[in-house]
Amino acid sequence: MPTAENLIPIRLDIENEGQRFKDSFTWNPADPDFEVISFAKRTVKDLKLHPTFIAQISQSIHSQLAEFRSYEGQEMHLKEKIVPLKLDLRVNNTVIRDQFLWDISNLESDPEEFARTLCKDLDIEDPEVGPHIAVYIREQLFEIAIQGVASARESKAGKKGRRGAENFINSKMSNSSLDLVKLFSSKGSVVRKRKDWYLYEPIVDILSNEEVVALDAREERNARLKKKLDEKEDSFQERI
Amino acid sequence: MSACFVFTEAVEQGSLLAPPHPATPVTLSSSHSEIIPATREERKKEMSHGVEADLSNRRFRQRELYTIPISSSWFRWDEIHEYERRSLPGFFEGGSYSRSPRVYKEYRDFIINKFREDPSRRLTFTEVRKSLVGDVYTLQKVFVFLEKSGLVNFNLSDRKQQQQHAEDDEPIVMVEDGPAAGVRVVPTRFSSSFAAAGQNGEEAPFKLPPLASYSDSFVELNSSSDLICGLCGVHYHSGLNESSEGNIKMCSKCSSKDTGNEKPELDLAQNKYTDVKDCSSTAWTDAETLLLLEAVLKHGDDWDLIAQHVRTKHKLDCISRLIHLPFGEHILGAIATKSSNINLITLLEEYKSGMQVLNDKPAVLTEIDVDEQVEISKVEEEERGSQEQPSNQKCFPPFVDAIDSFMKQVASLSTLCGQDVASAAVDAAITALCQENPCARLAFETTTTTTTKPLSLHKNEFKSVIKFEDEDAKGNTHADYAPEKSFSAKTFQIRAGIATSLAAAAARAKLIADQEEKEMELLIASIIQAQLKKLQHKMKHLKEAGLILEKELAYLQPLKESMMEDWVSVLQKLFQAGTPRCRDQSFPKTMLHTFPL
Repeated sequence: MPTAENLIPIRLDIENEGQRFKDSFTWNPADPDFEVISFAKRTVKDLKLHPTFIAQISQSIHSQLAEFRSYEGQEMHLKEKIVPLKLDLRVNNTVIRDQFLWDISNLESDPEEFARTLCKDLDIEDPEVGPHIAVYIREQLFEIAIQGVASARESKAGKKGRRGAENFINSKMSNSSLDLVKLFSSKGSVVRKRKDWYLYEPIVDILSNEEVVALDAREERNARLKKKLDEKEDSFQERI
Repeated sequence: MSACFVFTEAVEQGSLLAPPHPATPVTLSSSHSEIIPATREERKKEMSHGVEADLSNRRFRQRELYTIPISSSWFRWDEIHEYERRSLPGFFEGGSYSRSPRVYKEYRDFIINKFREDPSRRLTFTEVRKSLVGDVYTLQKVFVFLEKSGLVNFNLSDRKQQQQHAEDDEPIVMVEDGPAAGVRVVPTRFSSSFAAAGQNGEEAPFKLPPLASYSDSFVELNSSSDLICGLCGVHYHSGLNESSEGNIKMCSKCSSKDTGNEKPELDLAQNKYTDVKDCSSTAWTDAETLLLLEAVLKHGDDWDLIAQHVRTKHKLDCISRLIHLPFGEHILGAIATKSSNINLITLLEEYKSGMQVLNDKPAVLTEIDVDEQVEISKVEEEERGSQEQPSNQKCFPPFVDAIDSFMKQVASLSTLCGQDVASAAVDAAITALCQENPCARLAFETTTTTTTKPLSLHKNEFKSVIKFEDEDAKGNTHADYAPEKSFSAKTFQIRAGIATSLAAAAARAKLIADQEEKEMELLIASIIQAQLKKLQHKMKHLKEAGLILEKELAYLQPLKESMMEDWVSVLQKLFQAGTPRCRDQSFPKTMLHTFPL
């Protein structure tokens, strides 16, 4: 991870016997693996979930850890790159949308610190919001890091003659990141144009309880529909 | 770049146009030494980026002053200090597009400008990052660095505490310095004398603003026993190093700290200004109170004018002081009717009705009117009476604060009436009081015997208010007599004084009434005279007219006779000529008609 602390964003969304467990947090991959199972046990006990959750939680965490480790130690495309990150998440009653630039080559960055400052500046009282923002940022960073690894692989492969693919990937990547030379040359200003300010400004909404219930219901319905759709697709593919 | 510069321009102008935060009036400075470096810096900026801006306009603009901590004295707008390089190495290592010294400087300047748009509110990182392009984490590092060094959000937490401390006391004055360009650096100091005083005690987290009377009597004590350094707010006892520039005092530490620098003088001047302002806002001297009363009578409730008249005090201070005065509200109420002389009388009457102790007053008043006439002949007693009034004044020095202004009015009234009338009034008042309560007589007898001796010296000083005050002062020196007297005696004396004043007022009113009556009589007489003259004129004219008519008549009479003769002769000639009758008859008939006699 291109941050100071090497933490992995973990997102859990498990449904079992009428109970649904959704959570997100960061996990330190340096911790020993048996911590995962004790964490799962503790969580299930605290939240009074069905015991079958233990296995599912630990399994989900393990798989996400494994995915991360598959990239660990691999060469990454560590060119200086600044990408716009977008926040759009709802934690309990708080909805927050935001956009900002993030230097993914900066190995000292600290999403948790950033999230803390954001919550403090915006006077967000809900203590759960900050960690969620940090996890959200880390997820995006993780994704970008995966892309970086992929592009590094591609460029290696490209030396063996697949130039087309390399160019394709590079052009795709550069679309998402910013043209640093243009932005930070002596002619440009690092002060954003006034009319663009609103784009990079955090927007916070505090929802009422009714709205939250309605939103939850809608999300659940969408999730179910999607699940059904996936199942149909699977069965369709199986039939073929 | 153009966007950046235009923006800062807008920011600074905006901050100038916008009214300063009510709680934090910003001291402005128009010194050239501050402005010139600023314009130089702006020009540099403009030249390097090719942006046109109205330079001449900026040059003479007043600069706002900002406080930054002394530890950040390295800060300059047009260069990057070694300390900044060390603290944020990321920008100065090179090899990065997004992190260069130039970018750092732009970040820094923008954040500081943004903060100075409104130095009273806390600038947040989230607010800053929306307008800056760049990695948020890097931006955050810059922001945290600036905040730690005090260039941004400095002094804000202090102020919150102060506001809790001194809630509705005088407006808190923030002493700001460090103009935008040639940066000035001083340690933080306590902006209001009250906060400093609170710090002194340290025992009370919240103190009510001191009462006016308290500050009157104790302010000098405080300031002499416990000195506060104007610069650092530290208390010190001896070894003070009073600067020659005025009221501000500095401890030797601060004064030594400031040596070798050019600008501290300027800071000092600023400090002095605000400190003086702060100090003056609590204590009221007698002279100032007098000025205030004078101004109130003169200007009514136009507080701006009053404050100008008092000069050393703020408008709000004047209002609160007047309310604290024993007569403040009455004066204010009376102002509405606006006529100053009669005002005093109505004022007294108002006061009288307000005082329940004196509910027998109307009787006394009428008595005085009667007695006045009777006793005017007693010359010896008059003299005694004239001495007695000042004696009343003197007998209660502890009450002087409360009755001071009242007594002054009494004095002025009695001077208006004249000595004799006033003394007669005093006698009448005393006799009335004595009739009401036999104890009073005893009290008066003792007081007069004890006080007449020293007072006979001042007999002639009764004539003006100022002299009266002098007597006051002397009375305080004679206050040694006072402890002997019982409290009841004092109350009687107060009552006697009040009664005297009422009597004096009544006498004054009577005088005025008499005068007006005389004037009215005079006017009526003159009116009657004028009417008579008018009638005489008319008579004369009528006579003349009659004469003229007679003359005309006399003139017309012979004319008529001659006409008749002519007519008769003509007729005779006609008859003699023998004209036919039937034809001629019509002619004379018409002639007859035209000349009827």
